[in-house]
Amino acid sequence: MTAMIEVQGLTKNYGSKRGISDVSFQVEEGHVFGFLGPNGAGKTTTIRLLMALLKPDAGSARIAGLDCWEKSVEIKRLIGYVPGEPALDPNLTGGQILEYFAHLRGGVDQAYLKQLVERFELDTSRKFRQYSTGNKRKVVLIQAFMHRPRLLILDEPTSGLDPLNQQEFDRMVFEARNEGRTVFLSSHVLSEVEKTCATVGIIRDGSLVRIGDVAEVKAIKRYEVTITFANPVPAEAFKTVDGVIEVETLNHGHGVRLTMQGPADAVIKAAAHYPVVSLTSYEPSLEDIFLRYYEEDGPRATEAHHVA
Amino acid sequence: MWLSSVFLKTLRDYRIPILGWGIGMGLVVVSPMASVASLVTTPEARQQLASLAASFAWNADPVAVTTIGGYATFKIGIFIFLITVWPILAGSRMLRGEEERGSLDVLLSVPRPRLRVALEKLAAMWTALLAMGLLIGLVAFAGGRTFGGDFGLGDALLFGLDLALIGAVLGGLALLISQFTQERGPAAGATAGLLLVFIILDMFHRIAPNSEWISRLSPIYYYNLSKGLIPSYGVNAGAMVLLAVLAIGLGGIAVWLFNRRDVGGTVPLPRWLRLPERQASRVLPVGDWSLRSVYARSLRTIAMPAFWWTLGIAGFAGWMVYAVQLLETKMSTLLSGNAGFTQLIKNIGGGDASLNAGLLSAMFVFLPLFLMAFAVTQVNGWSADEQDGRLDLVLATPQPRLSVLLGRFAALASATIAISVVTLLVCAWVAVAAGLHLDWGNLAAAILGTIPLGLLVAGIGYLASGWLRSAADTGLLSFLLAFWFFVSFIGPELNLPDVTLRLSPFYYYGSPLLNGLQLTSILGIIAVGAVALALGAVRFVRKDIGV
Repeated sequence: MTAMIEVQGLTKNYGSKRGISDVSFQVEEGHVFGFLGPNGAGKTTTIRLLMALLKPDAGSARIAGLDCWEKSVEIKRLIGYVPGEPALDPNLTGGQILEYFAHLRGGVDQAYLKQLVERFELDTSRKFRQYSTGNKRKVVLIQAFMHRPRLLILDEPTSGLDPLNQQEFDRMVFEARNEGRTVFLSSHVLSEVEKTCATVGIIRDGSLVRIGDVAEVKAIKRYEVTITFANPVPAEAFKTVDGVIEVETLNHGHGVRLTMQGPADAVIKAAAHYPVVSLTSYEPSLEDIFLRYYEEDGPRATEAHHVA
Repeated sequence: MWLSSVFLKTLRDYRIPILGWGIGMGLVVVSPMASVASLVTTPEARQQLASLAASFAWNADPVAVTTIGGYATFKIGIFIFLITVWPILAGSRMLRGEEERGSLDVLLSVPRPRLRVALEKLAAMWTALLAMGLLIGLVAFAGGRTFGGDFGLGDALLFGLDLALIGAVLGGLALLISQFTQERGPAAGATAGLLLVFIILDMFHRIAPNSEWISRLSPIYYYNLSKGLIPSYGVNAGAMVLLAVLAIGLGGIAVWLFNRRDVGGTVPLPRWLRLPERQASRVLPVGDWSLRSVYARSLRTIAMPAFWWTLGIAGFAGWMVYAVQLLETKMSTLLSGNAGFTQLIKNIGGGDASLNAGLLSAMFVFLPLFLMAFAVTQVNGWSADEQDGRLDLVLATPQPRLSVLLGRFAALASATIAISVVTLLVCAWVAVAAGLHLDWGNLAAAILGTIPLGLLVAGIGYLASGWLRSAADTGLLSFLLAFWFFVSFIGPELNLPDVTLRLSPFYYYGSPLLNGLQLTSILGIIAVGAVALALGAVRFVRKDIGV
């Protein structure tokens, strides 16, 4: 299998602002790669370097064997791109935007383009500035997929999409993968990446801290469960239960907040011994995971570096 | 303290314009004062200056032009356009600009009545204008003291107040128009267009007899009724009160309409004026020519602003041609009884091409300036597109960066050429219709010769956008324009050295209506513009986008 994206020692400094430092990874052709990181971690900088919108200070980025900066025009023939914050001419209609980009790409299959418009149920006659956030995102997604690119580079592509359209987007990513196309998908939502990606890379503070299978990354995922009881329950009842990392007593013993990792089966069974009023589960944000996993556990963070 | 109310926060936002505009405009008023002493050294020179000013009455009333205050008042007549730029922009941005950015939604989510928010913002703009007027008055007074003016501090402050009032009228008008537009740009553009109409209406009574009733339709007429820097003339309290009432009325109606409409929407028009309801559609505009390339798209984008600029520039130039004919007729009537002017009378009335060119040449100095200002607005669009991320997706297509930049520049060049050609045709048509004899070759040279100047500004703007953000790029170009204009048209009166005068491209443009174009000079301007564009292209090809 050949590498579609090869990044080696990629570095970009913005002066006082944070950039990225010595980032290296590969994405094989036909794979869906998730690029995870909290806000400001360096995801967009990496993507803009791949898109030749930024020039690297050091290192190299190659797509299909071509240097991203030196051969920017050639590589862009292969790519469909969704920027993190799409900005387009506010006075053009959705239809005009799609046709304009179709021309700039040297023409696209109009039947396929119409099919995408139907799929997302996009009203093409409205001006871009009149669209809701979700509809703006649809326009940008369609322009990225409409020429059936070999590589899709998508920077937080589902931000602002409703659940139905997110599902449609997931289907399109699966279809792309099944057709042998490569997808590079950045996100700060772990569950989104879990659904579509086989491999993930995690970037933090401008450095890649981990690359691996989704299953490996899932192992670091923690979540919180809050259980409210009818009567006071001792915290000790949960401290030794499998999967429980931390227990916090709430409301004078009428509730517990559990920080957990792994399956919740043992906790559910332990809670069943008491009269439960309510149970809620909360998936912490990736920032929370990073804060807990990498800052509190310094040695584990170092150890975790680049396990792929 | 400055963040404790909407009024103070808005005033805080205006602090730089207050200082910049107040002091800057004050200096514009003072700059002609410096040259009066050298112009009126003898009674003959004094008489000559008065005669010269009379022949430029279309521009401003030539009242006491041999005094410091009179000459300054006369010279800044046309600069009313420049002085009112800020209130027009501020008025159109005040509510509509915040709605566009979405920041008004947040502001109106606080428990404060919408009417009060709008009134506080309006009051902040008026306060800023008064502060600017105060600064202009103080700077003018200081100038008067320095160069021996005969007006006092109170006179200078009344002069500043008059400027503040006309600014408040135009700011209020822009605010009112912005209640009917979805974006601030069209509101500012429409107000600027109306300002041009007001200036022309005001000119009528100075050129055509018995036309004062037409000029009374213009707020500029009432502004010009007060001449604070000329103590013998004084201010017209009635006119100033009228301007104040107009400003309060326009602002009040605008705020009242804002209070009744949807935030983010416009004032609902009567049913018969509304566009038909738009049906949702999934049709794609496959055959649209304007979507075929960066150049075609840019040309389509620039078409509407170019149309309005053409209307303004060609209209101004055509009006100037007509004004020369009217002026000569008026002079012919005035001088017909004087035997000493027999020969001159023969020439008056449009019959003598060189005399016509002499009068028109002085008026045409604004043509290249306007075309360069058009180029500044378009360069601002280019740098704003990069800054706001609108180039990202274009550059994510297989279009070389150089092609994207040159496509945009080519569209700007096409629009610049189109504006000039239409202006030439309009002037030629007006001259023929009015019976004004002109050297057609020189007329073509004067108008088409402005094209390289426009493209020079564009080239420099594209070069500077490689490093500067949009506002800084526009600021730099605006400063250059003001500097060049100052050097070329006020510099000679200040006896600036030749080497300084040569820094301005207007120097190389010369007086083509009188002397034709100097080919080497124009080629020099083209070469400098081309070098700037080439360097700008090199920078753009290599730079980080949006950083």
